Amino acid sequence: MLFPTVDFALFFCLVFLGHWVLNHNARAWKAFMIAASYIFYGWWNPRYIFLLAGVTVVAQSSAIVVSRQEDQRRRMSAMAIGIAAVIGPLLFFKYYGFFAVNVTNGATALHAALAPPLIQVALPVGVSFYTFMAISYVVDVYRREFPVASWVDTTLYLSFFPHLVAGPIVRPGELVPQLDIQRDPRHLDIVGAGWLILGGLFKKVVIANYLAAAIVDPVFGEPARHGSLEILVAIVAYAVQIYCDFSGYTDIAIGVAKMLGFQFPQNFDRPYSAQSIQNFWRRWHMTLSRWLRDYLYIPLGGNRKGTVRTYENLMITMLLGGLWHGAAWHFVVWGGLHGLYLVVGHWKAALRARGVLATPPDTPWVHALQWLSTFALVCVGWVFFRADSVGTALSMLGRLVTFQSGPTSLVTVPVLLAIAIGMTVQFVPRSPGAAVRSAISQLHPVPMGIAAGFALFAITTLGPRGVAPFIYFQF
Amino acid sequence: MSDEFTTPPPKRRRRVMPAGRALVVILVTLLVWAVLYAPELKRSSEAAPVGARRTVSLAILNPLVWVTDHTGLTAAANAASRAAGRDPNAEVGGVDLGVDALPSPVPGEQQEHHQKIVKDTDIREPTPDKQLRIAIVGDSLAQGVGFAADSVFKPFWAEVFKQGRISTGLARTDYFNWMTQMHTIVDRADPDLILVMIGENDNQALINPDGTVEQDIGTFDWAEQYQQRVQRFAKIATSEGGHVVWIGLPNVSDKSRWDFIQKQNAIFQSVADELPNVSYFDSWNTFAAPGGGYSAFYRDGTQVSEIRAPDGVHFNTDGYTLLTEKAAQLATKDFNLDPKTYAP
Repeated sequence: MLFPTVDFALFFCLVFLGHWVLNHNARAWKAFMIAASYIFYGWWNPRYIFLLAGVTVVAQSSAIVVSRQEDQRRRMSAMAIGIAAVIGPLLFFKYYGFFAVNVTNGATALHAALAPPLIQVALPVGVSFYTFMAISYVVDVYRREFPVASWVDTTLYLSFFPHLVAGPIVRPGELVPQLDIQRDPRHLDIVGAGWLILGGLFKKVVIANYLAAAIVDPVFGEPARHGSLEILVAIVAYAVQIYCDFSGYTDIAIGVAKMLGFQFPQNFDRPYSAQSIQNFWRRWHMTLSRWLRDYLYIPLGGNRKGTVRTYENLMITMLLGGLWHGAAWHFVVWGGLHGLYLVVGHWKAALRARGVLATPPDTPWVHALQWLSTFALVCVGWVFFRADSVGTALSMLGRLVTFQSGPTSLVTVPVLLAIAIGMTVQFVPRSPGAAVRSAISQLHPVPMGIAAGFALFAITTLGPRGVAPFIYFQF
Repeated sequence: MSDEFTTPPPKRRRRVMPAGRALVVILVTLLVWAVLYAPELKRSSEAAPVGARRTVSLAILNPLVWVTDHTGLTAAANAASRAAGRDPNAEVGGVDLGVDALPSPVPGEQQEHHQKIVKDTDIREPTPDKQLRIAIVGDSLAQGVGFAADSVFKPFWAEVFKQGRISTGLARTDYFNWMTQMHTIVDRADPDLILVMIGENDNQALINPDGTVEQDIGTFDWAEQYQQRVQRFAKIATSEGGHVVWIGLPNVSDKSRWDFIQKQNAIFQSVADELPNVSYFDSWNTFAAPGGGYSAFYRDGTQVSEIRAPDGVHFNTDGYTLLTEKAAQLATKDFNLDPKTYAP
């Protein structure tokens, strides 16, 4: 079930009603919410609910086994087996086709008789996200940072519909305790939640969908037919599109959770205002960044094992982060590029600390240059992320830097306006419109609903027809 | 100076509200939106496949639209749509995302067309001054072929008009009328070669442009009427001397659809066999597994590549490129299409 659909609106009205009616009865409330979440997930394909249930059973069983081991080595072994069991379906669904094709072609080139069965496996929506949450749970139990939750709580933690298909990647310590707190039905921040939902819809429906149709898809579809100017604008447009698409989804997810009285962690903090790649990763897909840091980079040794190992760990983390997005070489290149950016950033910082490299002066011009270079590097990465192959990405960048002439008909005023809006929000305060929201919150529910209804109508009218899926649903 | 002048006024805090009142806000929001958006919702529902969901939606939306029509809200909503650059009277189907603009008609000027055809003829040789015009027509599969055609055909020799429109077909002329659109394409683009890939969404009743049901699905007459539509469409496409490569539907992962698709392919092939300047490309057998079933992979000599999208219906970029190249090769074989227009 996609958020910006009539189906979801009707589903949510029923869930909202049931949620608050059953709020005082924890057992009934949890059963209701699990059922609602499984219906939400099964809407795509009813068979997927067996996978979700399977991952839940494996994660909970692993957590129980891990928690019962006193001996550290046994505890670690149990955790490793648990993680392998949890991640197995993800590896199969996401990477089997990639693996089979590359092994078959490699074996043919080497005249080896190795031919794994060629099976195409459709990736169940959201599996990457709830698998990572399940791993968080098992590891946090192993680290004694979180106790084993009940079967019901674990089931709801992994399936809770607002975060289910594309995050945020919520940790057990952030969500499970909220499941046992009785939410106060008298103090609902409907304006804060509605602001997030309508803002998220605007970003997705009006900005992201428009830019995709107007310039990004045509140019990335066939870069050879476009000149440097259209390619440049399409790359920047894609940066804005993916931000508005993914952060729009996250805003809606956080707003929906808020309406039910839940707090989710932030996932984006104006990432294109970053003045370094390190800072970019503190602002972009923040829940994935911290997951990679806490469950991959630090266990690999982080920066505690010398300079070379730090660089290695950064590269491994980012390469795997790239591969998490999809089984394709262009995602690996994207991850590798960001790994390289981070290594260079660390290296420069080390040189500055040793006085080998001068610290740049703290002036607006230097900050502007740092911002511009960071944004340019991020955009180069996005070319590999969006292109359907490394070859297409290189061809686009090649045409860009060799100043190819070509038509400019796709560079229109509405495209530039949409890009300008997407970039402007990077530089406004974190919670804009506080006064407006405060004023709206003083309204009676009926005029408040009428105002929101008009806003929703404006959003659906301004956006292109049809419902385009969120980009991150495919990951 | 008194305190009232020196102390800034306290900031108004955001008011919270009980869940019951919040539900009122949600319901009023959705109701206002539904009323304002009712004409658009009704048009979308009318375009949905015939069935219970469509019937229920229309039962709810018809009275709502009656109210909005009689209160002037429809006119106001349409004005808002126009202000946002959207034509409220445009056909619901055939969203023009990824569709190339056709050349504008010149008033009073008769387009110079090819000679009327009487038998199979060759496609003319392109020159740098007069490129071949190639139109890609059909549903979402054709959209994929269109994007691939942009890279397969060389811009120096060929101009590609991508005309694929998602969710369309020949069954629902009320949703998107391909007959009139094909006339428009022929009149305005005058294509030399037309790659047609359509029919993936046609497993439903045949509906006329005015919304009346011409033939229900599952009847013997359905196949006959559908064949007539295919024939009419192909005749329009070739009416001014264009050549058609009709790409048959490929195998899909859902076995329950195989029989129906093969019947459609048989219709496409029989129409291609009987009409001049129409060739049929058998994508079903070209991309089937060695045993005849569905395969997402294609073996070309020693290299294996994944060619189908995970949905088990569409192709991925490599697959569309391969499909387009093979369709072009068939045009060379049957219509003498100059290979320099596409050969690497």
